Amino acid sequence: MKYGLLLVFTLFSITLSAQQKLFTTAEDGKFIYYKIIDSQKVGKDVLVQRAKNFINAQQKIIQTENQTDSSLTAKGKLIIDKTVLVVGHPSGEVIYNLNFEARDHKYRFWLTDFKFIPYQRDRYGNFVATTHIGSPLEKKVDKLTSGQWKDIQAAAYQKVEKFGESLKKFLASDATVKKIAKPAETISTKKW
Amino acid sequence: MKKFLTAVFTMASTTCAFAQETPNSPLEISGSVDTYFKYDFAKKPNIKTSFASDHNSVSLGMIDLVLKKRTGKASFVGELSFGPRGQAQSLINAAEDVSSFHIQNLYVNYDFTDQFSMTAGYMGTFIGYEVISPVGNFNYSTSYLFTNGPFQNAGIKATYKFSDKVSLMAGLFNDWNVYTATRGVSSVGGQLMIAPVEGWTAYLNVLSGAGAGGYGTIEDLTTSYQITSKFKLGLNAANYDVDNDGGGYAGAALYPQFAVADAVTLGLRGEYFKYKEVAGVAGDKYTAVTFTANIKSGGLTFIPEVRLDHNGNKPFVKENGMAAPNAGQFSLAAVYAF
Repeated sequence: MKYGLLLVFTLFSITLSAQQKLFTTAEDGKFIYYKIIDSQKVGKDVLVQRAKNFINAQQKIIQTENQTDSSLTAKGKLIIDKTVLVVGHPSGEVIYNLNFEARDHKYRFWLTDFKFIPYQRDRYGNFVATTHIGSPLEKKVDKLTSGQWKDIQAAAYQKVEKFGESLKKFLASDATVKKIAKPAETISTKKW
Repeated sequence: MKKFLTAVFTMASTTCAFAQETPNSPLEISGSVDTYFKYDFAKKPNIKTSFASDHNSVSLGMIDLVLKKRTGKASFVGELSFGPRGQAQSLINAAEDVSSFHIQNLYVNYDFTDQFSMTAGYMGTFIGYEVISPVGNFNYSTSYLFTNGPFQNAGIKATYKFSDKVSLMAGLFNDWNVYTATRGVSSVGGQLMIAPVEGWTAYLNVLSGAGAGGYGTIEDLTTSYQITSKFKLGLNAANYDVDNDGGGYAGAALYPQFAVADAVTLGLRGEYFKYKEVAGVAGDKYTAVTFTANIKSGGLTFIPEVRLDHNGNKPFVKENGMAAPNAGQFSLAAVYAF
């Protein structure tokens, strides 16, 4: 009973904290996810190259649009899932623009122009986009759909935050250097 | 057929080496439930299209449960429905199997590459605009084209995606709507998908072989165009010829839809449909207009609908039982998708 209540309150507090995390708004009125990162001892060129590698590694969901020697822009999408514990299904996708700029020892990136495209189950049981025209994520919606829209905004934020963390992690490590594969460990039954 | 299979498997084996690993997905569970109230203006069931058949009754559609799982390049879909819409009203052998559940989809798929995949099992038909699941349709009542066409096809098909704008499917199928072939693997089908501009997708479909009423061939065009964020236009046109003057049908339906608010979309379905002549006897011709609204709140969609059908041969009945050329009905459906 005690553990059950503890679990309920833990889940409740996780849900509350998840709800509190939402996008901030940029000067143009659009949602934005903005980060400035100090990257000690790493030069501008290396940072830009690592950002390119990060994008090239997941070309199915993000593609470079423009690039200079110190910046790049890309367009991408993130799939929003309707998930309870381990089961669920995709409910839509959020498309976005990524901007990346680097200087020696630091870089910044921001994601903005978020647009949501809902998915619907097709005749074969697969979830597919219902339209190609996305709704801006910061859009005000009417009362009938406001609850669902807030859930979509919160889920989008979680996905964007996760994406941002993976970008930071990738840029913090030299992922272009291939690790030398260690030989698989074996156990000898001949020795005691 | 042997050459076709050889070509398919050669293509599969040569492209297999270039396949990229696809991540596993968690088990996907989704589905829907639907219920409706319908009132025929003649106070008796009158319009003979599929589903929403009960007059002056709060009746059931179906509960539909879908499982999907992907492991690397392999995936499966299993979809089961329970309730009148998914059982007796969907099954061709309804008389013998009225109380059974119905499989809507049961297939396995393998993506040999990002472009080439093969699918085998029992699948929702690739023919037509409307489907059995109410989640996939804008209108709650169904068109004559839907009612008379295939609902599902069991078989094996190969799909090659040339680009996001063009793909081609070819397959071998059993006769329509059966788990087990009654006339062997007797149909060949194909689908060309083209997306000429963003938002516009067109499917050109052909299915030839054992079907309703004998052996025949269906040619079908199904297309939809999201012209603006608020306006979408759909079109379905089909022609079915049964061999040896065995009849068939032809028809077209137009589906304009306009979103008047975030949660409210209004739509119209205008249809012309005719059965073909059988042994010198002319078939019936129908025109039907259906005005439908979709009002959404979360997973729930309310679907109020008014439908008016016309046929000069007077197949409908009036309230007093006399034959009538016109029939009308009002329905209100609630569909919850999860």
